[in-house]
Amino acid sequence: MLEIHDLHASVNGVEILKGIDLRVDAGETHAIMGPNGSGKSTLALVLAGHPAYEVTSGSVSFDGADLLALGPEERARRGLFLSFQHPIEIPGLRLDHFLRAGYNEVRKSRDEDEMDVLKFDRLIRAKAKDIRMDAALTKRSVNEGFSGGEKKRNELLQMAILEPKLRILDEVDSGLDVDALRSVADGINALATPQSATLIVTHYQRILDYVVPDAVHILIDGRIVRSGDKQLAAEIESKGYEPVAEAAGLAPAGGS
Amino acid sequence: MSAQATDEARYLAAFEAAERNGAAHDPTWLRELRRDAMAEFTRAGFPTARRGNEPWKYTDVRSLASTAFVAPDVTEPLGEIDLSPYDLPCPRVHQLVFVDGRYAPQLSTDPPSEGERASHVFFERGDGPIVGRIAEAAHYDVPLVREHLGKHAGAAAGAFTSLNTAFVRDGAFVSIPDGVSVPEPIYLLFISTARPERPTVTYPRVLIVAGRDSSATVLVSFESLGDGAYFTDAVTEIVAGPGASLRCITLQRESDAAYHVSTTNVTQARDSSVSTVTVDLGGGLVRHDLSVLLAEPGASASLNGLYLGRGKRHVDNHTFVDHAVPGASSDEVYKGILDDDSRGVFVGHVLVRPGAQHTVAHQVNKNLLLSDGAEADTQPKLEIFADDVTCTHGAAVGQLDPAAMFYLKSRGIGEAVARALLVHGFVREVVDSIADDAVRQYTDDAVMAALRAG
Ligand SMILES: Nc1ncnc2c1ncn2[C@@H]1O[C@H](COP(=O)(O)OP(=O)(O)O)[C@@H](O)[C@H]1O
Ligand SMILES: [Mg+2]
Repeated sequence: MLEIHDLHASVNGVEILKGIDLRVDAGETHAIMGPNGSGKSTLALVLAGHPAYEVTSGSVSFDGADLLALGPEERARRGLFLSFQHPIEIPGLRLDHFLRAGYNEVRKSRDEDEMDVLKFDRLIRAKAKDIRMDAALTKRSVNEGFSGGEKKRNELLQMAILEPKLRILDEVDSGLDVDALRSVADGINALATPQSATLIVTHYQRILDYVVPDAVHILIDGRIVRSGDKQLAAEIESKGYEPVAEAAGLAPAGGS
Repeated sequence: MSAQATDEARYLAAFEAAERNGAAHDPTWLRELRRDAMAEFTRAGFPTARRGNEPWKYTDVRSLASTAFVAPDVTEPLGEIDLSPYDLPCPRVHQLVFVDGRYAPQLSTDPPSEGERASHVFFERGDGPIVGRIAEAAHYDVPLVREHLGKHAGAAAGAFTSLNTAFVRDGAFVSIPDGVSVPEPIYLLFISTARPERPTVTYPRVLIVAGRDSSATVLVSFESLGDGAYFTDAVTEIVAGPGASLRCITLQRESDAAYHVSTTNVTQARDSSVSTVTVDLGGGLVRHDLSVLLAEPGASASLNGLYLGRGKRHVDNHTFVDHAVPGASSDEVYKGILDDDSRGVFVGHVLVRPGAQHTVAHQVNKNLLLSDGAEADTQPKLEIFADDVTCTHGAAVGQLDPAAMFYLKSRGIGEAVARALLVHGFVREVVDSIADDAVRQYTDDAVMAALRAG
């Protein structure tokens, strides 16, 4: 489904991604782990098409298409979804209006009819219930005044509504307590299908206890320095990133 | 004779012709009101000076002054007009429609006037509002009209007000009797046919008198059927009695070639509350002068506005809030969206007179610039002559947040819709200040349609 080959990307002229190779197939869950500042969010944002990040070389194919040639909205319409590490607040834009606009734009791109307000309202309520989110939040401005956990749930709600093929979840567990983490993880698992794939981007291993990965990749200083199975996540949990970084001849970027 | 004198002379000639034709039935006070106004206009002239002309320093009306607008041809029958695009999402109860300045009975809720019925409208309704024509009210010499017409937008309000008054024959007269609450919105619709071959001038006039403890919502709309150039010189006078609660929404969607100059004067008695919302989605050159006189303690005014600049549109909002007494409050929020080569001007003047203690006055103007060619000028003018007051003002000019733009796109929303949603979010606060559900919905749809049309 997703094939990344020797991907280099810069922001403001500074190279952050220094040659990423990764292949994710349908039905798989991969985890990208790495210390703060190693480039995890950069990778996620580059895949989603953030204009501030410049791809300087390499290629990415998504479902056979050249992903890097597509604008962010086109990537989303083809089934790529990014759950943001820091979802933005948009004063004045009602969440349900935003959700419906996105849903209908995706439908239109598939030559399907737009869904009217009443039907969509029912859809929102059903999906919110599935992921145990208070549907009243959708009458408020997008993320405005939401708690950290509510913002993450809102990302999940959008994912539930858009039913993407490739789900990129950037630090989906940050700001969640244990119970919230479990229910968010349940949501992620429940929404998975054999046709979809998941890329979990995380600093901590704990989400991987709930959403079990098929493969784990360690990203340090813009490179994947080691890949393995879920045992690798457990190893990071007990020993930290330093031994992996040292073995790769690097000091881990950022803090611990 | 200078070129400028010629411009005013054209209006004087039109005035004299109008006075010769059919003004004889009007009461003397009205003829005198018009004559004095014409004299005032001739004396003052159009405010075309480009130096030492502070109120007009951002807005150049020379092309307006020099264009030879003519009176609409009143002998021509009104063609079929489909009003359905202007229907409010609620039952039609009180609706007055004027087309090119002419009352259109077949489009209005009140049937054509016949003497007896009209006198009933003005003198015998006790429990409902009076929504009638100034022409009829003047004919029957309704005391409220004589008392208020031209008294709140006097000569001091400027040449455009005088010009309107000089030609006042008809318009909308709304009176809410004491203690009456009108549940349905009162809808005053001024339509211009805007045929390109004949640039016309009309003088829409509205007088709203809200009695003691009354309550009503009035929507005043300016719509255009064509894309020709024309000149709308509108004047609205609003009088809110003690404890009255009045909401007045103005929706301006004139043609891109139109000149729209409006003057609105509000006078508020004790404990009254008046909320104005001024929405500009059309017009070529647009100027509003909105003045609120808080004449007695406990009065509160809310002034909200939103303007959408497209093409070369120029929208100038001048507001003036006069805190003449202690213990009154005003709250003002104007938001501008400026695209292409448009320009938005906001000058918010707040005067707290000596002794007007415990005044609360807030003012905010925010502009969103969507292109390099767009321009926003914002100027708060606070004059405070009392010491125990709470006055704030703020202004901001910004651009669309690229992070928000990306967030929307990442959910499949394309550039145009994403912009429309974000811009709509920016002005939603203003639309939401409209309390009446039907008028708010209608206005919101109009704003969204205008945004998506870009
Ligand atoms: N927009 C940006 N401008 C400048 N530097 C950036 C920007 N985004 C990320 N960076 C830098 O890129 C590096 C990687 O950041 P990020 O991808 O967010 O790391 P992670 O998600 O692994 O913590 C950091 O050094 C960060 O400061
Ligand atoms: Mg990150």
